[in-house]
Amino acid sequence: MLGPSGIGLPDTSTISGRAILDLRLGRFFMGMMVGAALSTSGTVFQAILRNPLAEPYVLGVSGGAGLGAALSILVGGGFLGAVGLPLTAFFFAILTLLAVYAIANQGGVPSVYSLILSGVIVSAICSSVIMFLVSTADIDGMHTVVWWMLGNLQPSSWIDQFVSLLLISVAAGALWLLAPALNVLTLGREMAHYQGLDAGMVTVTSLLLSTMLAATAVSMGGMIGFVGLIVPHVMRALFGPDHRWLVPASAIGGGAFLVLCDALARTIMAPVEIPVGVVTALAGGPFFLIVLRKKMKYAWID
Amino acid sequence: MPGLTDSLAPALVFRGVTAGYKARTVLHDIDFGIAEGEFVSIIGPNGSGKSTMLKTATGLVRPLKGRVEVFGREVSSLRPRERASLIGVVPQKLDSPMAFTVSEIVMIGRSVRGRWGGPDAGDHDSVERAMIYTNVLDLKDRLFNQLSAGEQQRTALAMALAQEPRIIMLDESIAHLDINHSQEVLRILMNINREEKITVLLVSHDLNLAAQIADRLMLIDHGRLVKNGSPGEVMQEELLRRVYGCDLRVRRDPYSGNPLVSGVLDAALRRPPLQKRLHIISGGGSGIELFRRLLIEGFDLSAGVLNRLDSDSEAARALDIPCVLEQPFSAVGDEALLQAESMVGEADGVVVGLVPFGPGNLVNLELASQAQSAGKPVWLASGIALRDYTPEKAAAGKARQLIDAGAVEWSGLQELMALLKSAWPQHRVQR
Repeated sequence: MLGPSGIGLPDTSTISGRAILDLRLGRFFMGMMVGAALSTSGTVFQAILRNPLAEPYVLGVSGGAGLGAALSILVGGGFLGAVGLPLTAFFFAILTLLAVYAIANQGGVPSVYSLILSGVIVSAICSSVIMFLVSTADIDGMHTVVWWMLGNLQPSSWIDQFVSLLLISVAAGALWLLAPALNVLTLGREMAHYQGLDAGMVTVTSLLLSTMLAATAVSMGGMIGFVGLIVPHVMRALFGPDHRWLVPASAIGGGAFLVLCDALARTIMAPVEIPVGVVTALAGGPFFLIVLRKKMKYAWID
Repeated sequence: MPGLTDSLAPALVFRGVTAGYKARTVLHDIDFGIAEGEFVSIIGPNGSGKSTMLKTATGLVRPLKGRVEVFGREVSSLRPRERASLIGVVPQKLDSPMAFTVSEIVMIGRSVRGRWGGPDAGDHDSVERAMIYTNVLDLKDRLFNQLSAGEQQRTALAMALAQEPRIIMLDESIAHLDINHSQEVLRILMNINREEKITVLLVSHDLNLAAQIADRLMLIDHGRLVKNGSPGEVMQEELLRRVYGCDLRVRRDPYSGNPLVSGVLDAALRRPPLQKRLHIISGGGSGIELFRRLLIEGFDLSAGVLNRLDSDSEAARALDIPCVLEQPFSAVGDEALLQAESMVGEADGVVVGLVPFGPGNLVNLELASQAQSAGKPVWLASGIALRDYTPEKAAAGKARQLIDAGAVEWSGLQELMALLKSAWPQHRVQR
């Protein structure tokens, strides 16, 4: 409970106090949801691709979702109601994922490296399209999109939040159920087959679910980096690689991390608010590097 | 589940299987059956289709034609978990990028039984049994990635055992291990096979290893099953030469009687022939290095008189050097000497090795003086007096006569090679 107007619970006996509590609770829920979604999605991408670099941004999924969301904001997807933004974001994220897969696919199963390489390329294309859209938009639209892109946890309408919460909990819950299968998949698709797993099915399902998580997070909070990449590593270093623990731990850890960063973003230069994406990278990066240097051997081994 | 399968049905059957990948057919019309409890090894050159065969047997690659049956049921009709409870696979190298401990990895073998909530007592028992069997129980809390290659392979084997399968397939799982580790894994496999009656299918490019352990070998070449039979039937020089496209030799291991394959490197090392024949007088092991070196330099050789069972006579036989032999532990007789004299007659020179002389083989020096009187050069290993066990030092006396008549002394292989080269400088004939 941290904000420019002071630390601790605000005085709820005054109207302004209740308003502040309301605002802060809204930000808290937003942070928890977005952080949990990004971090869980990163955890699952890393498990499926068996690569510590995998995360929604690297694979272009976030870029695609961002493009969808920007289109929705500028062109208007409002006619779809509360699900319009996350739905467009998800649709575009899936499109990007398919494009990335198609580019990487040279017959057979694409290698992780070609997936990541084509992910980076597609991601770059998406962000240049967003830049193009922004540059041709009117001043209002430009402002909204740029602010949204920088990462912003300002709560949207309650109905939006409710829909997002629903999407995130369903996807994260389903991924949690898939945790034992994810454990097996870390040994590779072939081993997973020998261990009695329908590896193709599990891979596709969990890719779709984590894409859904990333897309929802992007549509809610904009482009917030670092959470999906680093929180899973730290959680793996702290709690081990068993996904039955790792999936919920990443969700809670990612949420808590983003809430904390958001609180810092609001207070450090108050009354000016720094975009939360800047804080996650600036504050989170070095902190996590220290943790990882000490505990990396419990996370990944090359 | 296992109960549904026919208990009398063979563990694995290929019926006219043709299989491969999108652009390429690898296996052609393969037919074989493996009974439950057998230990079978698939052998063949690199790229012959061994691994594809294993992938087809496990349902990872679907046959384009034909049927693959595991315990009487078509493998592609099995549900994934059923399949994993029948077939356990040990890969070439188990690769776990994340920091799982050994016991966690082995526990993954129990995911066949599929309970989300985590392992129960039965799972723990099974995992512990598997770890005891493969001797990794002491390592159970170590990180898998920090183990040696041998320990990792034993862990992978434990994981496959924890599945409690009825057939275990290994894909070159032992090839890259040191001999101590590969022997340990093999011993475990034999125990699994003999005690637990688990069928074992071992894919291996190491012929000797396969022949050492398997009841039956299946030789694959260019995606076809070329030979299917006991190690003795499959390890035939002619057959292997054809399949592997190189010269090789099959011998019997003197201890186990198993067939042993070895390449013939000397043929590749040899220089073009020099058209010069040397007769070698040696014995007691003094000729082995001499034979090899002179052959490599391109000389034709003959040898004798040697006693049978002498290590030089064994070496001469192995290197196909014509050789006059006398009975073991007997003095050189007239008949052998006559033969040797005719050999020396055909030779262009005589080399006497670092052989000790006694009354039994003293006549061999007569061969040298016979050559000398025919005008042929003689090279004599120096220090013959130290190896002279004849009464009245007859050999040393004979050597002095030879040297006086022009024989050259040599004291090392390098020196001998130099002497030979200076004696016949222009005779190197290019083929």
